[in-house]
Formats: sequence, structure tokens, C-alpha cells
Amino acid sequence: MSLTAPRRRYRPPAPLGGRRVAPGGRRGGRRGATALAFLAPALLILTVFVAWPMLSALRTSFTDASGFGEAEWVGFDNYVQVFTDPDLFDAVRNTLWYTVLFTPTAVIAALVLALVLNSPALPFRGFFRTALFVPFVVSLAVAAYAWTYLIDPQVGLLNHWLGGVGLQLGNVLEDPQLAMPAVALVAVWKNFGFYLVIFLAGLQDIPGSLYEAAKVDGAGPWRRFTNVTLPLLSNTLAFVLVFAMIAALQAFDQIYVMTGGGPYGNTQTIVMEIYESGFRKLELGFASALSYVLLIATLLLSVLQFVFFGRREKDTQ
Amino acid sequence: MTRNRLTLGLALALAIGLTACGGDDDSSGDSAGGPVELTFWHGYTEADGDVLEQLVDDFNASQDEVVISTEINPWDVIDDTLLPALSAGNGPDIVAMPAERLPVYADRGAFVELDDFYDDPDSNTAQLNPGAVEMVTVEGTRYGVPTGFVPLAMFYNKALFAAAGITEPPATWDDWVETARALTVDQNGDGTPEQYGAAIPDHATVANGVWPSLFYGGGGDIVEGGTDVVIDSPENRATLEFWYQAIAVDKISPTGVDGIAGDGLFSSGKAAMYLGGPWMASISEENGIDYGIAPVPAGPQAQAASAIGVSMAVTEQAGDDAVEAAEQFFSYFLDQENAVTWSLGSGWPPLRTDVAADAVAENPVVAALTEQAEFGRPLLPGVVNSVDVLTAVDELTQRAMAGEDIGTLLSEAQAEIESAVG
Amino acid sequence: MIARIRPSTVLGTMAMLAVTAAVLLPLAIIVLTAFKPVSEVNAFPPTLLPQDWTLDNLRRIVDELPFARLVLNSFLFAGGVTMFALVFDSLAAYALARIDFTGRRTLLIAIIATLMIPFQATLVPVYQLVSDLGWVNTFAGLIAPRAADAFGIFFLRQFFLALPRDLDNAARIDGASEFRIFRSIVLPNAVPALLTLAIFTFVNNWNDLLWPLIFTTEREMGTITSGLTLLTGPGGIVPYGVMMAGALVAILPLVIAFLLVQRRFIESIATTGIK
Repeated sequence: MSLTAPRRRYRPPAPLGGRRVAPGGRRGGRRGATALAFLAPALLILTVFVAWPMLSALRTSFTDASGFGEAEWVGFDNYVQVFTDPDLFDAVRNTLWYTVLFTPTAVIAALVLALVLNSPALPFRGFFRTALFVPFVVSLAVAAYAWTYLIDPQVGLLNHWLGGVGLQLGNVLEDPQLAMPAVALVAVWKNFGFYLVIFLAGLQDIPGSLYEAAKVDGAGPWRRFTNVTLPLLSNTLAFVLVFAMIAALQAFDQIYVMTGGGPYGNTQTIVMEIYESGFRKLELGFASALSYVLLIATLLLSVLQFVFFGRREKDTQ
Repeated sequence: MTRNRLTLGLALALAIGLTACGGDDDSSGDSAGGPVELTFWHGYTEADGDVLEQLVDDFNASQDEVVISTEINPWDVIDDTLLPALSAGNGPDIVAMPAERLPVYADRGAFVELDDFYDDPDSNTAQLNPGAVEMVTVEGTRYGVPTGFVPLAMFYNKALFAAAGITEPPATWDDWVETARALTVDQNGDGTPEQYGAAIPDHATVANGVWPSLFYGGGGDIVEGGTDVVIDSPENRATLEFWYQAIAVDKISPTGVDGIAGDGLFSSGKAAMYLGGPWMASISEENGIDYGIAPVPAGPQAQAASAIGVSMAVTEQAGDDAVEAAEQFFSYFLDQENAVTWSLGSGWPPLRTDVAADAVAENPVVAALTEQAEFGRPLLPGVVNSVDVLTAVDELTQRAMAGEDIGTLLSEAQAEIESAVG
Repeated sequence: MIARIRPSTVLGTMAMLAVTAAVLLPLAIIVLTAFKPVSEVNAFPPTLLPQDWTLDNLRRIVDELPFARLVLNSFLFAGGVTMFALVFDSLAAYALARIDFTGRRTLLIAIIATLMIPFQATLVPVYQLVSDLGWVNTFAGLIAPRAADAFGIFFLRQFFLALPRDLDNAARIDGASEFRIFRSIVLPNAVPALLTLAIFTFVNNWNDLLWPLIFTTEREMGTITSGLTLLTGPGGIVPYGVMMAGALVAILPLVIAFLLVQRRFIESIATTGIK
């Protein structure tokens, strides 16, 4: 049925830090030149259209630029403002809360469903795989509109159905406690299908013989999961976690559509602040400074994850 | 070998793509000789857009020195597109935007000062509604001309009124609340009415105007003269207490509603009265609601309504002759005949005070709104950081309607707004 | 093959059906609301299915927008970005995964770090650059800045690293060039990863709103996603049915494209793994 070549194998990703020494050894300058040839097109694009604008934004972050007209050098004023504005403290707290809500939920949902989908006993696997992936093709903004309609307190179908069984959902997006979980849920809904596909690929590559061996040793399903699946999936897991976290720290689209940062600023994230100060208040210098603070924070959090997974890797090997 | 061909194809496509597509002709109209070419960004996309295009075409045909071409940038994305375009120096020469957005651009030096234009007796600006002009004025300097200025109005559902035996829309706040109570129906007695007498959003209201309108009615204000913060006043306190009683206690309106939800409540017949913009007329028609239009009922101190404004300005990157050309278009746009055409076409009242309601009588909505024009007050005129001010007002009203202490909320709002405009 | 059906399988299947139904509900809302007349959108009690099916919402979109042109632009933009990004990303990923050179780790970290700045921060400088090149309102301006991206490079690098080295070492001994190893050994073995990245890149660019909105000012150059912003209703509020109809036509080509490749995509992931 499948016309794809049997050799085309999808492999689990390597450790985040990379494997230590590549076999084949170093051959000095010639390798460097070859590498450069391979890297050149991507590096050209990334340097011109990503690195250079980032440097330009860094420069802007030390000015009072509005984006046009004259800008004056203001030293670290914008950075001082970032660390002294109480609203920003709230935005940082909200962003972290969102990240904590989104990242584990999306990753665990994807992992659990991938495990179920990987079970040969499950019928209609092709249908389930396709159906669960489809939300990923919907943009976050459209997803936000659909969900807003679904949970509308007056005419929302979900509210109506839940009301029918005695569950009052209320006005979720105006509830200071529920608004953030709601916007996080929309992002989980949109993104878990993509993570699921990556996990499926990783799972497919775990040799069945390992499970058989574990069974022979008398390991139950949970033991097989913790002793076989999890260690062999840890590189995939680390990769997905890091990227899910980077995306969560930049939460914007569905929040802009669904709550605009409300109620009372309870869903106001850092990137919402960056957008508002840059594009609404025309304080591009401040927006750039805030972006760099976010960059540094993300970098630190990522390094923490890398270290954590790096250690796990050693433990299990 | 297919793969070789693919690689070659990619390389070719890249080469062609990057060179051939790249050579876009630069069409700024500063070249000597020939007419001055202007680009004009606006967000009029409904019937109003067609009328505006027609006015621009007529202007282009009326003389041979200036040619204006328009590009549509909807109101809710104009900030996203304008900033990058201005930063790269290839923005429009003329841009129209929601009026409360103009001051921040003007303050950052994006727009040309138009005081000399206003001083010119041929500019057709002398008869402009002063409230509309206030919305293009920042620290005493005028940076644009209005294209729209309309007070919020009360839309009411005639069928629901008739069913309750009410014939007249309310004229005062007390009337309003009493009428609304009569129209609020809780059939199953669960404490949540199925039909509300009114929909009064407590945040993100239409054009941010509902609460400013109520504050004016109670004799209060938010910011005076662009920098003087006056939100923490006994008048505003009384206003918030009055509406807390009506909304949260008497439940004439659901709480936690924003402007879009409010539109939905009125247009689905679940709320009998609603403060809205002129477009509520067409939304009501689309939804089969038999509606009437009345002024915002008078408060204890004043009858006033916050106005929705749209303004257009000339950007700094327009050359001298482009500025002159833009001014030529402005005075054409504002002459008496075109003012009537624009009013009828856009569905908004005339911008000139010397156009009487009967001149626009063929459109009953415009005529009704024109009669209310005197109640219109500009929203936050001259306030550069309107973003933070409006956020603070939203938080104040939403928290107040949720039952938090009004005195504390007002002093917090005062502090927030002071730091925003200071 | 007839196997005995175990109760746990039945329970698992029912749970999966429930989860899938819940996941598909918002999609059903998008599709079904697109066919609801205005009066039903805000009706209470709400219903899932339209009581009175209408094509008015869809008709409005086709009438008011240069629909075919916008969809074509979307394909050219998202397809162009995907094509270039796959080539450039896989080349770079190969070097980072398989060629040992000094500064490799630093370069990798620098590339990943570019993902950590929100695009809102670099939008203005990128626009200035594209504008200086005279590329506003061109496909070059839309595509070139995204012709390579850090996520794709890192994603592919991870997969290239995990491919066994026996084959390319053998080829290297036979005197094959790095490019030949890349093209004939690594790429063919990475098709599922490339497809995954292709879908990811295509979907994200297809759905991107701000990018085409800002880099094109001429209506005819917009994409279907950015073009939908031109639909507004009275007071700038798009009627809900029209909005959902817009969402439907914007994602429909994507879903079709996905269904066309999904068999290959998911099967190549799923079937090859079973040993």
C-alpha cells in the first residue's frame, strides 16, 4: 500500500547538546570550508534578515525612538524602566503562569495521545492521527475566535450544553481566575497535534524487542513506560519542551483576540506589552529593551532545561 | 536525475525571484512636471468606502495638479502597518485613523502641523464642529482634519418596548433605569434575566465611549486640557455608585460585557436599550430588529455623549508640494456640498455645523444623529497616551461593577492616569 | 485478520473517540457557523447545526475579495518560503550535525537564540531593510527574510544527528563528497522529518497575518489570511458568520493540501517504525 521506500526512516532527535565527538575525526581547515559552503545560504539569510535587525533593535533599545523621526540616546533608561514598572512585574508573572499552564499540558497531552495512538490494538489509528493533527492547521487567531464563540456566556454552545448538565461555566474570559487557563487551553488545542506527531516519530523508533525483554522481566505497563519509553524518548521530549516553552514565553495571538490582556490585565503577557508599547504607544526603544530582557530570560530558562536533560541523559546511559 | 533538476530549479527560482521581483518602481510624486501624486490610507470599507473613493475620484477629475490614490488599511490594523511604513519612509502622504490615535503620532512628529491651513479662509474649516477639531488638536496645534464625528446614541428595541407598553425612550437617567427595570424579564426566577432592559458594557465599550458619556452626564470628566487628570471626583463617584446600583443590584444589564458582546445582546433582541455608534442601525436591520434612535439620556448634571471620531492627517514624509496638494484635497472634502454627500454616504452626521438636519433628511439615521450632534463631546482630546488612560478607565469601571470599593478604585485610576499623561 | 477484541481496547477506543470529538468541536463550529444566517448566530438556545443553511457568508467573501488571487498569493508565499527554507535549513543542519568544525556549538546556540526574541521587536528593522531593497509589495520581500529559519535548522539537525553513520562513512571511504552524502544518503533517509518541517513551515506562513499585511500594501499582493482583514462589517465589526466563513476558506486549501500529503507524511512516520 505504501509506495514510500522502506529505507526512509524517521529518527528520534539527538541529545540537545549534540553528541560529543563525531566519528570521522577532524581534518582541520578543509572541513571548515566544507561546513561553510553548507551553511552559507542559511547564514546569509539569517545574518541579513534576523541578526542584523536584532542588532538594530538592540541599538534602538538604548534610544527613545518611536520608530520614525529623530531618536535620542538615553543609555539604560529603558532597561531601568523595564525593571521598575510595576505593570511589567505583573506581565512577567502572567507570562510565567501562562508558560506553566501551557507547556506541561500541551506536552503531556501530546505524549499520552501518542502512546495511545502507538498501540497496535487501537482501531482507526489513521483516522485518529489525522483528526488530532488538524487543529494545527488552524491559525491561533481563528482558533481564538472559534473558542470565544463556543464559550460565550450568552450564546456559547459549550456553556449551553454544560448548563444542561448543571455545570455553570459563567463568563470565562471575564473571570480573573479563569481567563488565563482559557487562553492557554486554546494554544494547547492548536499545538498539541504537532508535538504529537514528533512524539509518534520518536516512539516508532524504539525497538519492540526492548518492550519484549521488559515483559519477560515482569515489568508492567507503567514500569515499561518509565524504564523503556521515557529514557529512549528523553531527547525528543527535551526538544519539544524547549520549543513549547519558547513559544509560550512569546504568547500573544489568541490573547490579543480573546481578552486583549484583560480582565484587569490578568492575561497581559510580556509580548502583549511589547506590542502595545511599540505599536500603540510608539515607544519602540522601550519595546526593544523589553524584548531583549525577554530574550535573556528565555535563554537562561532554556539553558536550565538543557542542563537538566543533559544530566538525565548521563544518568540513563 | 530529478534531484539535480530540482536543485537547479531552486537556484534559478531564487535568482529570478530575488532580482526580477526586486525591481519595484519607486512612485513618489516629487518629480518635477506632471501632477503631484499622493497616497491616502484609510479604513472605510463599507458603503462609506465607496463614497470616499467617489469623492477622491471627483477631486482628481476636478483639477489636473493633484492625483490621489487610496489604499485600504482597516482601522484595527492601521497601527500595525503605519509604524513600519513611516519608519522606512515609504508611508502614505495622507492617513485617516481613529481620532484618539492621532495625538500620539502627532506628538512623535509623524504629522505635519496644519495651523496655517486652518487660518486660510478658503480652507472650509471655519464651520467645522469644534468638538471634532478638538480631537485633532495637540497642545494647541492642529495636526489633521476630521472625517467623522458622531456622539454615541441610544438604540432601543421598539418591539420590546411595545410588548411592555412603553411608548417613549427614556430622557433622563432615572427614566432609563426605571424603563430598563420594566423591560428586564426573569421568567424562570433563577436570578439571571433572560431579557435585559439594557446592555451596558463595563469595559472595552463601543469606541470606549460609554463610561465617558456617563461621567459627563454626572458632571465629571477624565482628563481636562490634555494633561489635567480629574477622574477622582465626587461626581464620578456618584455616577459609578448610581450605575452599580442599576447594573449589579437591579440587574438591568449583565456585567462583564464588552462592546462586541453588547452589540450581540442588542442585535439578538436580548437587551432592549444600548448605547452604540451609527452602524448599530445597519446591524439592527440585518438582524431584523425594529429599532429607534434617541439621545443618550440626560444625567443629573448634563446631557452629553462621548463622540466617536475619525481624523486624517498629512505625514511628515510628504514633501512641500504634497502637503499643499493634501490641503487642497482637504478643503475640497470639507466644502458644503461634499460635506453633505459624505455625511449621507457614510451615515455619519455632517462635520460642518452649518449643514442643517433637513439637508440630510433623506437618511433618517443621519438626520436623527445630526439632531444630537450638540451633545457630542470629544474623547480624551489632546491626550497623547490614550492607550493607558483607556486601560485604566476600563479597569475602574469593570472592577466597580464587580462590586469593589469605588473610592479606592477612583484614587488608583487617578494615579494610573496621572502617570500615563504626566 | 480477526482478533479477539479486548475490553481495554474497547474502552481505549471509546476514550479516543471522545477526545477526538472534543478536539474537533471548535472546527465544527467554524465550518457550521459559516453556513448560519445572521439571525441564528446570536440565537438562543444555540444549536450546533444551522437550522437554515445559507451560502450568503461564503458568497460575501468571494464577492468582496479577489479570492482566487489571494489564494494563489498564499500558495506562492507559503510555498516559496517552505521550498527555500527546506533547502537552506537542511544544508545548514547537515553541516551542524555531520561536519566537525570549530565554533559549531557556538554557532548552534547563536542560531537558537534568534528564536527567543519576539518578532514584534525586529519587525520594524526588517521592514526598513526590505523597503531599502525596494521589495515592499513583492514576493521577494515576503519570502527572502524567511528563506531560512532557526527552528528548521535545529529541528533537522536533531534528526540528522540521529541517523546512523555507517552508510556515510562507507560512502566517504569510497570518496564521495559531502554534498553527495548529504543528497544521496542523509536526505532520502530524512524524508519524514523534511515533510514534518514542510508542513510546519507552510502552515505557519499560510496563517501569518501581520507579515503579509505589513509587507504588502497593494490588495492584489495580499494573502488570503491578510486579505480577510479587509472584510469588515458596520462599525468595523465583522459579522460572526462571515468571519467563520473567512476562516473556513482560509484553512480549506490548507486542509486539502494536508490531506494530500498526510498519507505519505504519517505513514512514513508510522509504518516504517514497526520492525
